[in-house]
Amino acid sequence: MLAALAAVPILIAIAVRVTRAGDGGGGPAFLDRIENNGLFVVFVALTVCVPLFLPLTVGVVAGDTIAGEASNGTLRYLLIAPAGRIRLLVVKYIGAAAFCLAATLVVCIAGALIGFALFPSGSVTILSGDTVSLANALGRSLLVALYVTVSLLGLSAIGLFVSTLTDVPVGAMAATIILSVASEVLGQLPQLDWLHPWLFSNYWLGFGDFLRDPISWSNFGTNAALQAGYLIVFGALAYGRFAAKDILS
Amino acid sequence: MSKVWLRWAPAAAAIVVVAGAAIAVPTVANASVSLPAKTPTQVLELVASSHVRAFSGTVEETSDLGLPSLPTGSVPSSVKGGTSADIALLTGPNSLRVYVDGPTKARVQDLESLAERDVIRNGSDVWVYDSKDNSVGHSTLASRQHFVRPGSAPQATTPDPTDATPAGLAKKLIAQLEPTSNLSVDSNVRVAGRAAYDLVLTPKVTDTLIGSVSIAVDAETGLPLRVQIDARGQKANAVSIGFSSLDLSTPAASLFAFTPPAGAKVTELTKDASAGPEAPGTSATKPAETVTGHGWDSVVTVAAAGSLGKLSQSAEFGELTTAVAGGRLLHTSLINILFTTDGRIVAGSVSVARLQEVASAQ
Amino acid sequence: MTAAELAIETRGLTKQFGTYAAVKDIDLSVPKGSVFGFLGPNGSGKTTTIRMLLGLASPTSGEARVLGESMPGANSRVLPRVGALVEGPGFYPYLSGADNLRRLDSADRYASSGTRRARVADALERVGLSAAAGKKVKAYSLGMKQRLGIANALLTPRELLILDEPTNGLDPQGTREVRNLVRSLASHGATIFVSSHLLAEIEQICTHAAVMSAGSLVAQGTLDELRKVGRPRVRVETPDIQLASGVLAKLGMTVQPAAVDDSATDVVAVFGEKPAEPDAIVAALVRAKVRVRGFALESPSLEDRFVSLTGEGFNVDH
Repeated sequence: MLAALAAVPILIAIAVRVTRAGDGGGGPAFLDRIENNGLFVVFVALTVCVPLFLPLTVGVVAGDTIAGEASNGTLRYLLIAPAGRIRLLVVKYIGAAAFCLAATLVVCIAGALIGFALFPSGSVTILSGDTVSLANALGRSLLVALYVTVSLLGLSAIGLFVSTLTDVPVGAMAATIILSVASEVLGQLPQLDWLHPWLFSNYWLGFGDFLRDPISWSNFGTNAALQAGYLIVFGALAYGRFAAKDILS
Repeated sequence: MSKVWLRWAPAAAAIVVVAGAAIAVPTVANASVSLPAKTPTQVLELVASSHVRAFSGTVEETSDLGLPSLPTGSVPSSVKGGTSADIALLTGPNSLRVYVDGPTKARVQDLESLAERDVIRNGSDVWVYDSKDNSVGHSTLASRQHFVRPGSAPQATTPDPTDATPAGLAKKLIAQLEPTSNLSVDSNVRVAGRAAYDLVLTPKVTDTLIGSVSIAVDAETGLPLRVQIDARGQKANAVSIGFSSLDLSTPAASLFAFTPPAGAKVTELTKDASAGPEAPGTSATKPAETVTGHGWDSVVTVAAAGSLGKLSQSAEFGELTTAVAGGRLLHTSLINILFTTDGRIVAGSVSVARLQEVASAQ
Repeated sequence: MTAAELAIETRGLTKQFGTYAAVKDIDLSVPKGSVFGFLGPNGSGKTTTIRMLLGLASPTSGEARVLGESMPGANSRVLPRVGALVEGPGFYPYLSGADNLRRLDSADRYASSGTRRARVADALERVGLSAAAGKKVKAYSLGMKQRLGIANALLTPRELLILDEPTNGLDPQGTREVRNLVRSLASHGATIFVSSHLLAEIEQICTHAAVMSAGSLVAQGTLDELRKVGRPRVRVETPDIQLASGVLAKLGMTVQPAAVDDSATDVVAVFGEKPAEPDAIVAALVRAKVRVRGFALESPSLEDRFVSLTGEGFNVDH
C-alpha cells in the first residue's frame, strides 16, 4: 500500500517530465511549478493524495484494526493473552496513526527524491511570492507532512470505531472510505455552509498555509482541535462498543 | 441494563464535552463586555482620534446576500474577472491577512486554498502577486495614491492603505452615511479578543435595502474592528467584515520587501491599471460612473464596458438575474443591480422601482 | 467441595442470543488438579460456555468464577494464569509459527520479553513443531495449526488450561501426543478443562466429566460416578422379540425401544430397581417358550450413559 502511494509522485513527475505540460492551467495546484523546482512534486502529489489516495489507504488500515483480527481468529487469542481491551484499542489506534504518518512521509520523500532527480532544485517560491531557501522549504515540507498526518487522525478514529462494529474487515474498510467520501462531498455543497467547519475533511487541503510567509498557524490549530474532537468522540464510541462486546469470531 | 449504560457513558460524556466545548468557546468569546458608557458622538470622536499606524491581523469576510449558492469552482474565470463584482467574494467566506506599517507600507494576503494573492505596497512600489499563475504586476505610485486590495474593483482615489480592513471600510461608511443616519450605541461586543463599542447607523430614509450598519470600535485605540451590514428583512448579516485576530505591534519590515520570484511573469502596470493583472482589459477602458443622490439611497450608473456582453451571455448570468421592465435585474438582499437593455448598469441599495426611475431619467 | 478447591465454578450461567438460549442455567464445578472432560454434541453450548469462562463473552445471567475470581470482571488477573485454545487456532497466515507466538506473547503484558524467545522455542518443542517454527503459518497443515494453538496455550506456566477440541484435525499419532501432553501437564498440578465431542478421548484422559446437551448441563462428576449411574443390562438373542420383551418387562426391566422391531434379532433390557439374577431371567424366558439363542449380561458403559443423556446425533465413535 505504501508502495502504491510512493508511485503517485513518481508517476506525476514522470508525466510532467515526458509531456512538458507546464502551461495551459488546469490540473492540480502547483503542477506548473514542477519544472522550476522538483520540490513541488511533493505538493502536487499531496494535493492529489489528500482527497483520495490517503483516505483510501487510511480507511483500509483503520477499518482493518479490529475487524481484521476478528476475521483472522486472532482477536480472541489477543484478548485472552490478555492484551486488555482498552489497551488493544489504544495500540491499534497508535498503529493506524503511525500508518498515517508513514503514508504521508512516503509520498513526501518519494516526491522529493523523484523531483530532485528529474527537475532542478534550489530556492523555492512559496505561495506568497516570497522566495525561501531549499532548507527552509524542506522544513516547511515536514510541517506539511505533519499537518496532513494530523488531518487524517479523525478518519482513523472513525475507522477504528467502524471496525469494532463488524467481523468483516472489508465492510469496515468500505464504510470508512465511504464516510470520508461523504464528508468531502458534503464539503463541496455550498448549501451546507454551516456544516463545513464540523466536517473532518474540511481542513484537509489547508496544508498550503505552510507555504505562506509568515506561516499561518490558525488552520493548523483549528484542524488539530477538530481532529481531536473526532478522536475523543469516536474513541469513546469505540470503547463503548468494544469494552463489553461478545467476541464470537 | 445499567451495565449497558455504564459502558456507553464515556461515549456520551465525550460527545457532551466536545459539543459543549464547541458551543462554549465562541460563547465565552462573546461574553458580555463592560466598558464605560459612551454616546454615539463620543464613539465617533474615538474613531476620529484613532491613530493606529501599524498592525497586523486576519480579516474574515462573510456575506449572505440571498444569492443562490454556487458550487465551489463553478464560477468561470471570465465572471471572476468581471466588472461589476467579484462573485467569488460575494458568495463565499474569505480570509485576508493584513500587515500595515504606516501609510506607505502595507501587505494584504488573500488566502485561498492552496493559493494566495498578495498586494504589497512598499513606499511607491506596488506589487501584485498571484500564486495561481505565478504572475507579478508592478506599478509605481506617486506617494499616497491608489491602493487596492486584491480582487476588488478599481477605485479612483483611496489613499488609505487600511482600506482592505474593517477600519478603512468603516471610516468610508461613516463619512458617507453619517449625515443621513440615526446613530446609536448597541451593547458592547468582543471582536478579535478586544472589547469594543458597537456603533449602529440606521438610515433615516426608508427607500433602501439596508437595515443598519454596525461598526465595532476598539475601546482602547478607536480602530474599527468589524463592520456588519444588515439587510431589511434578513436575519443573518448581509455582509460582515471583521478582524478575527489583531496584533498592534509593527510587522517585520521584511514582509514589505518584495522581489519578484525567479520564473514569474512580471507585468509593468500603468498607474490606472491597478486592478490586478487578471483584468487588464477592463481597467484600460474604465467606464464613466455617475452617482445620483448621496448616502443610503444613492444610485450609481455605469456605462458598461465591452466585457458586459460576454458576461451577459454566460449561463450564470441568466440564472442569477430576472427579467424586469427595462432590462435584467440582479437582486441581492443588500443591493439591486439593473442591467439595462441599452447596456448600462444601474445599481444601488434601493428598490427596483427607484433604479428604473433613475435609468429612465438619464 | 469448597470454592477454594474449584478451578472453575459457574452458577446459573446463561447466555441468550436474542430469543435463542445457547447456554441455559449451568452449574459447573471443576476441581483443581482435575482433568475435566466437557462433553457434548456439536452445538450443545460448549464453546459458548468456554467463551464466557475466558471473558470473551459476558453471561446474560448467572456467574462464572475462574481460579476464584469472577469473569469477565477479573480478566486481567485471571487470564495470565490461564492458557486456552478456543474454537480452533487463529494465526496470521503471513507470519511464521514462531513469530505468531511471539506476537501473541507480546500482547500479554505480564509475560517477560526477556525470556520470550526461549519460551516460544520451548512451547514449539513440546508440541513437536520445532522443525516448522520458521515456516509461514499459511503453509501449515490443519494439524500443525492445531499444535501451534496448543503451543500458544503453553507459552507461560499455567494453572488452568482450557482446550476446546484439542485433537481436532490431528492424526492418530498427534492425538496420542496430545493425550500424553495433557497427562504430563496434569501431573505437574495444572487443572485441564478439555472439551470434546469424542467420548473415547475423554474416557482415556479425564478424571472428571460433564455432559452438555442443547445448552443444558445434564450430568457431571468423576468418571466412576457417571458410570455408576448406569445400570447393567441384558442382551437376549432370539427370533421371538415380542415374547421376550414381554417377559423381560414383567421382571421389572426396561426394554430399550430400538429393540422392538420386526427385523431385529435381539432384545436389550436394562435392569430395574431390584436386579434379578441372570439365571432366573434365562429360566423365565425358557419357561415362556422364548427361543433363546444367546444371552449376555452387559455392565454399564459411559457410551450408553451419554447416548441416553444427549439423545440422537451424538457422534460417539468418531
